[in-house]
Amino acid sequence: MRIDNTELWSGLAGLALSAFVVWSGYTLGLGSINDPGSGYVMFYAGLLMILFSLIILYSAIKDGGPTFLSLWRNVLWTKPLIVIALLIAFTLLFETLGFLVSTIILLIALLRVIDPVAWSRAIPIAILVPLVAWYVLQKLLLIQLPSGAFGIG
Amino acid sequence: METLNLVAQGFGVALQPINLLHCFIGVFIGTLVGVLPGIGPVSAMSLLLPVTLAGTPESGIIMMAGIYYGAMYGGSTTSILVNIPGEAASVVTCIDGHQMAKQGRAGPALGISALGSFIAGTFAIILLMLIAPRLAEIAIAFGPAEYFSLMVLGLVMLTFLTQGSMAKALLMACLGLVLGLVGLDSINAQPRLTFGSIHFIDGIGIVPLVMGLFGVAEVLYNTEQSLKREVVSANISNMFPNKDDWKRSAGPIGRGTVLGFFLGVLPGGGAVVSTFASYALEKRLSSYPERFGKGVIEGVAGPEAANNAAAGGAFIPLMTLGIPPNVVMALLLGAFIIHGLQPGPLMIAQNPKLFWGIIASMYIGNLMLLVLNLPLIGMWVRLLKLPYNVLFPLILLFTIIGVYASGNNVFDIYVMIFFGITGYFMRKFGFEPAPLVLAFVLGPLLENNLRKALILSQGDLATFLQRPISAACLIIAVGLLLSPMLPTIRKKREVVALDSEAS
Amino acid sequence: MRTRYLRSGIVASVLAAAMSVTTLLSVEARAQDFPTKPVTLIVPWPAGGSTDITLRAIAEVASKHLGQPIVIENKAGGNGTVGPATMAASAKPDGYTIAQIPITVFRLPMMQQTTWDADKDFTYIVHLTGYTFGVTASAEGPFKTWKDVVDYAKANPGKVTYASPGAGGSLHIGMEQVAAKDGIKLTMVPFKGGAETNAAVLGQHTMLQADSTGWKPLVDAGKLRLLMLWTAERSPNYPNVPTLKELGYPFVFDSPFGLAGPKGMDPKVVKVLHDAFKKAIDDPSIKATLAKYDMVANYKNTEDYVKFVKEVTDSERKVVDSLGLGKKTN
Repeated sequence: MRIDNTELWSGLAGLALSAFVVWSGYTLGLGSINDPGSGYVMFYAGLLMILFSLIILYSAIKDGGPTFLSLWRNVLWTKPLIVIALLIAFTLLFETLGFLVSTIILLIALLRVIDPVAWSRAIPIAILVPLVAWYVLQKLLLIQLPSGAFGIG
Repeated sequence: METLNLVAQGFGVALQPINLLHCFIGVFIGTLVGVLPGIGPVSAMSLLLPVTLAGTPESGIIMMAGIYYGAMYGGSTTSILVNIPGEAASVVTCIDGHQMAKQGRAGPALGISALGSFIAGTFAIILLMLIAPRLAEIAIAFGPAEYFSLMVLGLVMLTFLTQGSMAKALLMACLGLVLGLVGLDSINAQPRLTFGSIHFIDGIGIVPLVMGLFGVAEVLYNTEQSLKREVVSANISNMFPNKDDWKRSAGPIGRGTVLGFFLGVLPGGGAVVSTFASYALEKRLSSYPERFGKGVIEGVAGPEAANNAAAGGAFIPLMTLGIPPNVVMALLLGAFIIHGLQPGPLMIAQNPKLFWGIIASMYIGNLMLLVLNLPLIGMWVRLLKLPYNVLFPLILLFTIIGVYASGNNVFDIYVMIFFGITGYFMRKFGFEPAPLVLAFVLGPLLENNLRKALILSQGDLATFLQRPISAACLIIAVGLLLSPMLPTIRKKREVVALDSEAS
Repeated sequence: MRTRYLRSGIVASVLAAAMSVTTLLSVEARAQDFPTKPVTLIVPWPAGGSTDITLRAIAEVASKHLGQPIVIENKAGGNGTVGPATMAASAKPDGYTIAQIPITVFRLPMMQQTTWDADKDFTYIVHLTGYTFGVTASAEGPFKTWKDVVDYAKANPGKVTYASPGAGGSLHIGMEQVAAKDGIKLTMVPFKGGAETNAAVLGQHTMLQADSTGWKPLVDAGKLRLLMLWTAERSPNYPNVPTLKELGYPFVFDSPFGLAGPKGMDPKVVKVLHDAFKKAIDDPSIKATLAKYDMVANYKNTEDYVKFVKEVTDSERKVVDSLGLGKKTN
């Protein structure tokens, strides 16, 4: 059995998570059978999770599974990282910049990062789509969106 | 005969031009919010409620109802096209619907869900006309013990949604259940798993959870694929279901309608349970269950019919008992009350014109929806021809909008990103998100009702077996768990083979 | 569906966070033209209960005086405490998020660990009205009068169950006091508000229902039997139904309620909201709606409301302690 077997680590991660759930359920209080407490269901759900994690572990040891390397071979693993970073940056700035400004910037960035779209296409898309979305939400559905420090939108 | 008379009277009300107009506005807005992931009928209805006050009670309520069932129509669109369920009731549609789209069969998938929805919706209205008062009994026959057992049955049926490892699916279901319990305990207001953060007091929102696990994770997973450039097949064969599709869908639509209608009557998670009950049923009945999850039309037709029929069933407890079975119905109740009407056992007798008028308008509204939605299919399918490097940024944009608009809370966007990352790894390691999401919806109901049932029975677990409905649910659940034991063991080798192939 | 869904629709409230650079001056300026967008009123009960119905009617009128819509957000659970607790913990004190404050907000902290402090975490705005409580049983069941219930409970100790919206509510406390007087045991089963308690007693999952007037349409239709009311006088709507006092219990429970926002609200904003709601409960149409649900306007201005909160807290502590429901750690 290989130590970089992903199934093995899935099982171990599941086990750790289950242990936390069991512990949380226990500290929240199990109550009694005729008046179950806040942690009652959580505790037993955690025990079930331990059972299922053990099954995953068992089959990982018995049957093996894909390795980490095989899952990330031949993929552009930086792309998801960049997208995540962009999303977090966007969320940080969302309320300061306001809906329109921040979404337009985000769209331009995404269009250029994932697999570059020509500027001549990226710019109109990045401006038109948020504008239409803003109009439908704010004007037709009366949903309020942040206008940001510049008061645009 | 008397019913027919009343129905005719109802159509008289519904066909008044002003009511027709309101009905159209309602279903139009409904379609719009249904298609936008995250923005559900609840948002639209609560914001537009004041607007309806200007008109007569009939036209106001006709419009509100239109938004509701209109949204049910649109809900499947994003599930099929981009694998993002608009709401819990269309999670199941993603499984085979999106696979169909990937194979270039988005048209038939959308077509069958529109036509299936129409058939189910219409049939549900007819049932509503004929047996509404008697069905009220079902709604109240379900007490805590019955609900608990139904939820157990629901969770067992989740295992039918998975094609991979059963243990992984069940682990995800338990995790979903636990995530559903985050927030203040609804029985004694104790904070649970909130990590001392005020943001979790209210629990984890279903919209950011779903948008993260499905939408964001899907995009993350696809952006790293350097070779598989196609999101969906470019050659889109045909727009509408063909004869064979129809033949295969007829049964699922019929069964889905019945399941959806009766489960929809139940307050609580009825509509959601009906979608995967229908899926499980079709998979069980099918002569090729192994193809479920790989793009069979039955997996779209059944659940879609079920969730639309459930929308009709949901009116029954409201109209006959004044008990709203879900949040949308509660809003509708608010609309009745603001118009000075009190839904309850006396409403049908005291306001027959209103009751039958609304029912008739739903019939007309369903027709409008069909006319409105069929031409849209072509447009949706064309949307798929967008190159993936334009489509992905747009998907991300719409998930963000949906999440923000659903709660006006920036924290929800972080929650979505978190579940997006989680979903990416889940996909990598072969864990499926559907059981997690469905257990997330059902978990709190299971917990709450278990506790109430045990208080009622003074801790006697036999209560679940002594009550007939509850016992029936549990027996079916056990049967479902045991019956596929043999085939799964046999199939196990196949699955393992598939897994290593995927890696 | 979960209540959390409701939050979905409901606009604006938390949004003011966008204005992160708040100087005192700009706050002043904003307070002057308050409100400039819809105000969210958190109703900590599910839609369709009597509180929800009356508050929706009141909000409808108040919004006309306010010049902005008031959006009702139902955030049920914890016997009416989850809504205010969530607001106290997460909403900005800008007046765009306010909540109904049921009496449980004062009482629950005495009974268990909670996330809020009723004295410190709220800005009280206006006191509005109180509930009419009653106990019902299914018309198909054996109980025709309250005496039947007491006799049954004596013969079958611990067997009588009742549905009620959550532990520590006025209804729970009231039923406990009634039970204590007769030396019987009544088991409370916590549900999430009127719609659920109605279904529970209609389906005879519980023998009784103790709730505010959400049972009205079902009682009027003869599906539920109203056994007693907890008001001081008989209700003109139900002249044949006895009050607690007439049945020999020296109690009147009405569980008054008002509105509050998160702590630290601008007094000017408080005044704007207070005035709008004051005008609303003076409106004849609201008086009529309240009467339909056997409620009477019980107006208290901001100052009196704060004083009242103090009094209630003191008297509640006595009741809770006398019933032995107090928090163990104290």
